[in-house]
Amino acid sequence: MLILDRLAREVEALIFASERPLSIEQLCEYTGSGEDSIHQALDRLNKSFLDQQHALMIVEVAGGFRIATDREFGDVVSQLFEGRKPGKLSRAALETMAVIAYSQPCTRIAIESIRGVNCDSAIRTLLERDMIKISGRMETPGRPLLYSTTRAFLEYFGLSNLDHLPRFDEIEELLGMSSSELEERDLFGTGEE
Amino acid sequence: MNEKTVSTGYRIELDAFEGPLDLLLYLLRRDEIDIYDIPVAHVADQFLKYIRRARELDLDIASEYLVMAATLTKMKSKALLPTHRFDGEEEADPGAELRRQLILYRTFRMIAEELQKSEETWTEIYTSPGERERWSSDKTEIEPGQTSLLDLLKALSRLSEGEPELPSQRIQRTLLTITECIGTLEHRILPGRTISFREIVGPEPERLKIVSYFITILELMRRGWINCHQAYPFSEIELQRTERWSVDS
Repeated sequence: MLILDRLAREVEALIFASERPLSIEQLCEYTGSGEDSIHQALDRLNKSFLDQQHALMIVEVAGGFRIATDREFGDVVSQLFEGRKPGKLSRAALETMAVIAYSQPCTRIAIESIRGVNCDSAIRTLLERDMIKISGRMETPGRPLLYSTTRAFLEYFGLSNLDHLPRFDEIEELLGMSSSELEERDLFGTGEE
Repeated sequence: MNEKTVSTGYRIELDAFEGPLDLLLYLLRRDEIDIYDIPVAHVADQFLKYIRRARELDLDIASEYLVMAATLTKMKSKALLPTHRFDGEEEADPGAELRRQLILYRTFRMIAEELQKSEETWTEIYTSPGERERWSSDKTEIEPGQTSLLDLLKALSRLSEGEPELPSQRIQRTLLTITECIGTLEHRILPGRTISFREIVGPEPERLKIVSYFITILELMRRGWINCHQAYPFSEIELQRTERWSVDS
């Protein structure tokens, strides 16, 4: 059986006792160790959880480390939150979420031009569930609201940060193309000189 | 393919789609069409068939579908007409914009599916400390700057939802029907006599009484049972019974 070292157990204690998820920097500070040592300690911890068939593991979500239950026990644990846990997101909400996640900050019009449908109610749902927030206004006529994702979004989808969204080169390309096309067509007239 | 087998393919209704782009992607997949080589005329026809079908079923068609139908029709007519090229003029591919939209939408739809998978996984995982605390019954303290306008609005709507019963008081509505008023007036507006509206309602009348009697007066005038006279606007209204009152009633 794996005997856990001092550092791994310190990390475990810190994560367990903390009021909020601890970042890698905080773990380094409190233990006086480097990032690499912390990551290794976390690996050892998770290995020992696994070896001893615990229902727990340590995960990094929304930039912080937390103790998480195994999926297998979802049904049992969900009883604790019955009636308080919100339902799953609709397809419309998920699509809207996807567009905002990749092109944030973005306006409602931008989302609607991609989805091809009105997105009012999807945006409202996402705002109500704290998945997105109003992050400002675009300095164009009408000053439309800009939407961005929140920490709750990362937590909900188990992402450690926005860089961990799956990469799609196609999107960058297509979004880039649309903006340059827009510039050519709308901002600088018809392009005939 | 005859018409019957085609129509069975329309079982899927518009509600199943997340908009015109979703429907178009479905049609492309169903007919095994390459997104980079869209036969505009064919796709336009198929799309319009769906819209017509939805119309026959009296479904509410979102305006976005109609806009797409119009765009496709325009593209189809352009594709069918011979084009005149002038020297040095680059003919814009009418399908290019649609293709760009479809590819972009398809990509985001794919991401949405990925997100759904993550959602599936992470709704079964509970973390501590974490967002699960949000759902716990005890409220955590909020620091300044952490709340938004939306939080306030949510709090307000929660407040109005869970509002305990307010102390209430029943207010009895007094009814004064036109028939009752006519009954009373029968004894007040006597043949050959003139009576003013003010006299009828009496001193310091309630609003209900004024309104009911006024409507009654209008009704009696309509029936031709009384004559009214007013010297100038807002002056006293003088009422007189006509012959018809006794005849009709």
